[in-house]
Formats: sequence, C-alpha cells, structure tokens
Amino acid sequence: MSSVATLSIGVRFIHLLASVALVGAAGMLLLAGPSDRPTAIRWEARVLRSIRGLVIVALASGVGALLLQTAEFAGRPHAALEPAMLGRALLATHAGIVWLARMGLLLLLAVFAFMRVHVASKLDWVAGRGELLLLAGGAAALVSFSGHAIAVTPGTAGAVLNDALHVLATGLWFGGLPPLAMLLHAAGRDGGEDARAYAVLAARRFSRLALVLVIALVATGVVNAVIEIGSVAGLLGTTHGRLLLGKLALLVPILALAAVNRSRTLPALSGPGEAVGRPAMRRLARSVAIEAVLLVALLGVVAVITVTPPALHVEPTWPFPFRFTYAALAEMPALRIRAVIAGQIAVLGVVAVIASALMRRHRWPVLAGGVVLVAVGAGVALPPLTVGAYPSTFRRPAVSYQASSIAAGGEIFRERCAGCHGITGTGNGPGGRGLERLPADLHSAHTDLHTAGDLFWWISRGIPGSRMPAFAGQLSADDRWDVVNFIRALAAADAVQKLGPTVEPERPWLVAPDFTFSVGPAAPRSLKDYRGRRIVLLVLYSWPASKPRLAELARAYDSMAMLGGEIVAVPLDASPEAIRRIGTEPRILFPIVTDGADEIVQTYRLFGVDGHAEFLIDRQGYLRARWTAPTPAMRDVNLLLAEIQQLNQEKPSVPEAAEHVH
Amino acid sequence: MRLWKVAVLVNLALALGVGWGYVWWGRRAEQLSRELEAAQTAPAGEREWRVRGVVRAILPEINLIVLTHEELRGFMPSMTMGFRAASPKIYEGISVGDEVRFTVRGIPPNVAVTAIDKEKG
Repeated sequence: MSSVATLSIGVRFIHLLASVALVGAAGMLLLAGPSDRPTAIRWEARVLRSIRGLVIVALASGVGALLLQTAEFAGRPHAALEPAMLGRALLATHAGIVWLARMGLLLLLAVFAFMRVHVASKLDWVAGRGELLLLAGGAAALVSFSGHAIAVTPGTAGAVLNDALHVLATGLWFGGLPPLAMLLHAAGRDGGEDARAYAVLAARRFSRLALVLVIALVATGVVNAVIEIGSVAGLLGTTHGRLLLGKLALLVPILALAAVNRSRTLPALSGPGEAVGRPAMRRLARSVAIEAVLLVALLGVVAVITVTPPALHVEPTWPFPFRFTYAALAEMPALRIRAVIAGQIAVLGVVAVIASALMRRHRWPVLAGGVVLVAVGAGVALPPLTVGAYPSTFRRPAVSYQASSIAAGGEIFRERCAGCHGITGTGNGPGGRGLERLPADLHSAHTDLHTAGDLFWWISRGIPGSRMPAFAGQLSADDRWDVVNFIRALAAADAVQKLGPTVEPERPWLVAPDFTFSVGPAAPRSLKDYRGRRIVLLVLYSWPASKPRLAELARAYDSMAMLGGEIVAVPLDASPEAIRRIGTEPRILFPIVTDGADEIVQTYRLFGVDGHAEFLIDRQGYLRARWTAPTPAMRDVNLLLAEIQQLNQEKPSVPEAAEHVH
Repeated sequence: MRLWKVAVLVNLALALGVGWGYVWWGRRAEQLSRELEAAQTAPAGEREWRVRGVVRAILPEINLIVLTHEELRGFMPSMTMGFRAASPKIYEGISVGDEVRFTVRGIPPNVAVTAIDKEKG
C-alpha cells in the first residue's frame, strides 16, 4: 500500500470518528435535557465546546480526505494541489457531489455551534440542540451515499437507506458515550452532588435508547452483510469478510460491558448516596469510557473496510480444509434422520442459551445445559455433513458455462485426461488400469458433491496420494476452467437422460449451456440474449433426413413466434453452406446457424444426440424438454405449441440460470 | 431573533433547497433524455443504408426478398426481414443462401432494396 493510501485511511478514520461523534454528542445533550444545576450547566458547556472542536476536525479531515483521494485517483500526489483535478473530483464524480453536500451541512453545523445567542426558553434550547442533531445526522447519513451501499445493484435505494440507519445508530450510540462518561464523572466528583439526579436520569434514558440502537445496529448490520458479502465463503474467505469478523470480535466485549452496566451498575446508581450510588457512578463513568475507546478501535476497522473492495466482487479463498454441506447426505440416506434430529437438538441448545440470558433464576444451569446440547447436536450432526474443501472451493468459474468453453474443455480432456479417465470420463482409460487408487468416474453421483472450485483445485494441483497430476504448469487458468465446464457438462449429460419429451410444469432444474451463433453476416447472438424474452426451441438437424420435420416447423413458425417462441436450427455437420443447401424448399425463415454450429453440436452431442434432436429452453435459460428420434416421428407440432403455451403461463419459480455451479 | 425561529428558517431553507434540487434534476434529466432521443432519431427525409446479409427467401410474386441482415443504423436492429425490391432486376442472379451486400433506400418505414451484390468468396 502506498503512503498516500495509508494516510488516506488515517484521515478517513479521523473524519468518520468526528462525524459520528457529532451525532451522538448532540443526541446526548437532547436526551439529558436542560438543567439549572451548575454542574450540569458546566457539563453542557463542555459538550458544546467539544462539538465545536469536533466540527472543526470533521471539516479539516474532510478537506484532507478529498485532497488525498484526488491524489490517489490521479495516481500522483501533486494532483491534490491542482485546481483542475480538484474541480473534476468535486463536480464530475458522484462522491464529489456527496462530499460537497456533507461539507455544506457541516459548515452550517459549525455556524450553529459557534453562534452565541441568548436562549430564552425551553423551546429555544430544544430547537438549538435539535438543529445540531439534525445537521450532524444529515452529514453522517450522507456517508452511506458514497460508500459500498451505493454499489449494490439492484436495490440500491434499500441498501443505502439501511446503511444510513446503521451509520445514524452508530453515531447516536458511540457518540453518546463520551459525553455520558463526562457527565457521570463530573457528577461523581466532590462538589458534583447537585447534578447527580440529573446524571442518573440521563444514564437511564441513554441505556434505554442504547438497547434500541444496538438492536437496530445488529439488524441493519446483518442486512448490510447479506447484501455486501452474501455468503459464508465471502465472510471467511475475503478481506472484507474477515475485517467484518474482526469488527464483530470487538463488538462482543463492548456489548458485554454494556450488559453489565445495564444489569448491575445502573440499578446501583440509585443506591443510598455516598456508600453505593457514588462509587457506582464512578464505576459507570470508567466503564462507559472503556466502551468508547473500544468503539474507536471498531471504527478504525470500519475505516479500513470502507477502502476494501466488497466481498461480493472478490473471489473468496476458503480458509479451511473442510466445509459442511447437506448434499453430503445424498449418498447416505440413513444418516439424514440422524442429522435432522441432531440439528434440532442443537437448535434447542441455542434457544436455551438465549433463554438463559433473559432468566434471573437458574441462569447458569440452563446456560450450561444449552451449551452441552449445542455441542452434542453439532458433534452428531456435523461429521456426516463434512466434505473436503480447498482454497478455491468457492471460486466462481472465470469462464462461463457455454458451448465454446465446453467444446474447448472437451478437446483438452481427450488430449490430457482421457488416458486414465476414459474418453467418456467413466474412469476406465487404459492408463488407469492397475492403479492403487482408480481414476475417478466423473459421472458418479458423487461428482455433484464437489463445487467447480474443487474440480479446479484438483486439476490445478493434482491429488496427493494418487496419480492425478497437477496441470497448473501446463494449462492456463482459462483452459483449466474449460475442463471444469466440460466435466460439468458430462454431469449434465447424465441428468439430461431424465428429461422427458413433455415439459414438467414448474420444474426447471437443468441449465442449458449458453452458446453464441450467427446467421450469415448478421450480428452474432447468444442463447442468453433470449433470456426473459423468448422460449427457444433448439433444433439439431441432419440434412436431408430432417427435411420433413423442418418443413413442419417452418409452417408452424408464425404461430410459434406469436406465442413467444423462437427456433434456432443447427446443422449437425456444421456446414457454413446450410442455408444454401436447404434452398427454396421448405421456406425456412427462422435462424439457421452458419457460424458457431460446431461448438453447439459438440456440446449438445454430449447429451446423447446422434441424429435429429430438439430441446425446449425456457425464458430462464433451463432445458425443459428433449426429443430425440431417428426421423420424422417427432413430437406433434400442435403439442409443441401447447407446451410453449404452458411455459408462458408458468411464473418464474427459480432464479435465472446462473453461470456458476451449485 | 429567537433561536427556535432561526432553526425553523434554516430547516425550511434546507428543505426548499433539497426540493428545488430534486425538481431541477428531474427536469434536467428529462431534457437530457429528450436531447438524446432527438440525437438518436434520424433526420426526416430519404435515407440509405448499405449492409451485409444472407438471402433467406425470394418471392417475386409478391415482390418480396427476405434477408437476415446486419443492423440498419437508426432504423432496425439485426434481424430476418422481408424487403420490397425496387425493381424486378434485383431478383436476378441471386439465390437462397447467398451472402450479399445490399442497399436499402427510402423514408422509414417505407424502404426498398435498390441494389444487391453477391459477396465474393
């Protein structure tokens, strides 16, 4: 990391700290309310002074952050001092506009904080403090408009709102702690007796508010994590995810301290004067100050997170040699019930643990029982769910699942893998005979258990204790992903046998490999272009055997188009002269692939196609029906139209076919 | 002035500012999209395109030639489409499956094929 980047994080940290602290300080003033006690008045003046200090720090660090960011974007430190560059950064970028708005609010806040006006009534007092809170809150909430949340699509507005709530709750809670500690400290000192009742009241109000704030923080935090991280692999396998875990680790002692304060120290505040109340107040002041310091560290982590790419946009590196998956039970149905029962026991244990936190009597036995239940449940349920995992297990394929990749992967497979794994991947190649550990049968149901990332790992690094060699040195990463896609297509080829000639309503489950084709010199299209628009009938035909069928389809083409269907015809011999060869009869106007047929045929050949075959692909990109027959006794065209109509009436029940496995 | 009045005025000004900015941006966006539309729609009058395509059907009896063609910029995306032929001569020397380069002329949507040549190779 360059020195500019490090400095930038530091300045952002200070800016973030000052911005959220302002919210809490103003909030605490409003929460405690006006008072005529000298100690309370002195405290209020101190808090106001610190608000003035904070707003200056926020403004200065905001300017600093802007300069550093400009230098960082331009890639040279001097850019920070060039008016033209600064102007561009401010006016031509989204972050710049947000920055201007925030600085405007902070400036206004500074005016309010420094204004010396006569406060004549309670209304004035509330208006003045409320304005401080409003302006500070507005400036802090705007942070969300230029952070990670704005990069979330779709659902940007929801993500930004959620993040803004998170920032505001942080501000009110964290920023309220230092003024509260100051008040408790002042009231707990000799000569602070006059404000003790005021301080106790303020602490009680703050405690009530803090409970709500912490719940809001956890809720919005969870939503944020789901939106920006999205998976366990993202949480454990990316920098962003790990920083979040670090943040949570810091939150645990803070919440523990807060819980102790709430349940023990706060009630003791109203104990009899000098003997109990005052020491409790001092204890509380100390503990609140420690909470605040821990929160500063936590915000430090947040500052680093703001400059870390969101986990969703980063390929995760899985840290453990194992993972848990329910799919592991597919091979061992007998264990399924055991796993379910053990899971229920663990859930019961979690419930007991939560209940123990709310109980006054029997707390410890219930807690211990809960922990034992969780341990037993997990101990019984998890071992059968465990499968091996590798750093690349959760990586998404760098090459999408499409015909060109599958065809290229097939080529490599025949050259490098078929020797042992067999031409069709059943593990019966000549090179594998007599090996102590036989080459894997890539068609076995077991293959489903493994992610594309697992396969990628084995192909790249080999399998220790077997003769499976490492190909990382011989094949490029893209080539290895091609092989992964080919193996996935092999598995799909087995699955496709279960696909019947009639559409099973509402049951899309098999992804159609994408492909790209063109008709003559027209612009190339891919299957994906039809997503959400057309139902595609993919026809693999041989000439002239398929002539009657093509004529039949050509006659039905108008009706099919009207129902939202498109036909894509692929000559099995991949001839670029396909259109000329068909000639004027039958008169076919649907796309006949003249370029790209080779790869489509290679891929769909895996699906047991020898002669003429037709595949019906729905708008979500799933294969829904398959007809293979030697010649013309194909599915009745009217029935075909009925099936298309059936698909038209279906509501999309699953997400669009994704490009990655599992 | 009393502090509460100042606060009310400031908030009012902020609300007005945000509201005005919102409306202004809405109008600006509208204007931009209008300009974009104007820039994208072609000027009125006769236009001409020369693009590549492949012959799919020849129907002189209804004076139509069907071509799968490249995009006609500003008029029609790449698709299979029947075009009127400007003269019967157009049909001479071409057959289904030929890759061609052809000229379309007219005032959209009223256009016709005025010339067609086989691609070499």
